[in-house]
Amino acid sequence: MAWIVEDRLKQYQPTRSGPYLTAEIRSHIEQKYFPRYPRKQAALLPLFHTIMHTYGYIAPQAIDEAAGFLGISRAEVQDAVTFYEEFRLQPSGKYVVNVCRSISCELCGHQAVLNKIRDVFGIEPGETTDDDKFTVFEVECLGACEQAPCALVNEDLHGCIKPDEFAAHLRTLPDHPAGAGH
Amino acid sequence: MAFACPVLLKRIPDDPAKRKLINIEEYISTGGYESLRKAQSMTPDQIIQLVIDSSLRGRGGAGFPCGSKWKFLPKDLHPRYLAVNFDESEPGTFKDRYLTDYDPHILLEGIAIAAFANRITTSYIYIRGEYHLQAKILEKALEEAYAKGIFGQKIPGTDIVHNCYVHRGAGAYICGEETGLLESLEGKRGWPRIKPPFPAIAGAFAKPTIINNVETLACLPYIIEHGAEWFKAMGTPSSAGPKLFGVSGLVNKPGVYEEELGIKMSTLIEKYAGGVKGGKYRAAIPGGVSMGILGTDQYDAELDFDIGKKYNVLGLGTAGVIVMTDKTDLVVMLRNIVRFFAHESCGQCTPCREGTAWMHKMLNRIVAGYGKPRDFDMLMEIGLSMGSMPGTTICGLADGANWAVRTFLQKFPEDFKARLKSDQVQGVTLDAQAAAAV
Repeated sequence: MAWIVEDRLKQYQPTRSGPYLTAEIRSHIEQKYFPRYPRKQAALLPLFHTIMHTYGYIAPQAIDEAAGFLGISRAEVQDAVTFYEEFRLQPSGKYVVNVCRSISCELCGHQAVLNKIRDVFGIEPGETTDDDKFTVFEVECLGACEQAPCALVNEDLHGCIKPDEFAAHLRTLPDHPAGAGH
Repeated sequence: MAFACPVLLKRIPDDPAKRKLINIEEYISTGGYESLRKAQSMTPDQIIQLVIDSSLRGRGGAGFPCGSKWKFLPKDLHPRYLAVNFDESEPGTFKDRYLTDYDPHILLEGIAIAAFANRITTSYIYIRGEYHLQAKILEKALEEAYAKGIFGQKIPGTDIVHNCYVHRGAGAYICGEETGLLESLEGKRGWPRIKPPFPAIAGAFAKPTIINNVETLACLPYIIEHGAEWFKAMGTPSSAGPKLFGVSGLVNKPGVYEEELGIKMSTLIEKYAGGVKGGKYRAAIPGGVSMGILGTDQYDAELDFDIGKKYNVLGLGTAGVIVMTDKTDLVVMLRNIVRFFAHESCGQCTPCREGTAWMHKMLNRIVAGYGKPRDFDMLMEIGLSMGSMPGTTICGLADGANWAVRTFLQKFPEDFKARLKSDQVQGVTLDAQAAAAV
């Protein structure tokens, strides 16, 4: 019986010619974060926060590059990265709207916020608008229960949301968010 | 209405319009960093003894005595670390965020004192990823504090090296569990470790590590300033000191309020949070969803560390009170809580990974109208079997689900039983309907 070898790495082949970890990102991590920890691996979260901020998602190629950069195996990087909710492996819209669904927000009507987004933008949690502007997610507690219902739009917290005003505010956002590189 | 003599919130005005971020100049001009100077004139052992005398208990949920925790550090084993637990992810909890929003330096001063007392040279503030603004506030405050020589290579007048860094998490409730936090700090997935060894012996990077909550550390400057007796004069004998209470849910004025430990929940809701909104009080969660629920007749429960034994809940937790009324559907609320645990279970231990997901499915089915009488006992059995206290899991996450389920079922059985229909007539058909519906 032949031993069938499957190339499991095939789907993770590099997807672009240039590196995701540019010289700029590398030197930023090397100078700012490596001195903070006794091991390079501990800079994994800051590194992937930087990648998320720059590209908006984490490409398989970036995981390969990070493994070499941090001096650990690819499996260890993938193991850690896939654990965290904020590290997304798929591209998303320019604005990520994280609507909180935990208990205080459900008590104060988070469903009305999601319904409004569905009616106005035509997207359910997990979906992206056709123009790639908005992606909406339902997330667990954002730690702003006194402002329920609340949502994070990229890095900005919106509290005490009134669904109509919130949808109107989202409509007025510029096509390209300020600050983020994606 | 405000606490007569605010301690932790003394720099934050009651009027929301007047609140603003306090920078280091304002902090120092109102007596800030005086306690650190006073602490540096004491010996580390004196400070630890003072904290033990004050009977300060951890504000993060477990209520472990802070001074005893420090005592566990092995003598003369260096380097050692301080990890500040700012992974405030428990639904209903937002006190640390509120404190940092306006007064970040109180935390930094607490860190500096704790590090001095324990001869720690590196501190990490592990802040949850969703707190973007607070991470920036802390980075800025740290910059100011470094410039003033609070942190840095050489603190003026001493030979102490102490660095403090912000380390951002990336969205995982389990990283608030102390050993999950350490794993995450090391750049791994946040899987809690089997104890022993305890973090005080082998914690971050296998070195002795102290893990303290933000609010616990924020109490230290005041204990140094006013002494242990002053601190113990507040609260009850077993629960000393002031406490930040977060009130959310169906109240008129949700927010963070400071009071002595041992305050009645009814007082907190009526005097501070403006009373119950849109109905009559029916139930409340005393301190984050993992603590279970207080019944209708437990409105006057005293919020202190003894609440668990007295009122059949897990404990005070983070003191994040969530209020529900007679119009709230408690079955849907329990489903929300169980879904939270099912979503946040790290997947390491089978009873928690499978049990929380199973209970979530059952509650989905009950809410959809396909509950069966046997579901009641089944939910109870699954709930009771999981957690570190039954001894089936590594960490306490499953205990949270356990206590939520058991207290909801014990205190409000009629809400659940009304939803459970007999399936004897329809038999298999009901199962098939349920499968199709859920």
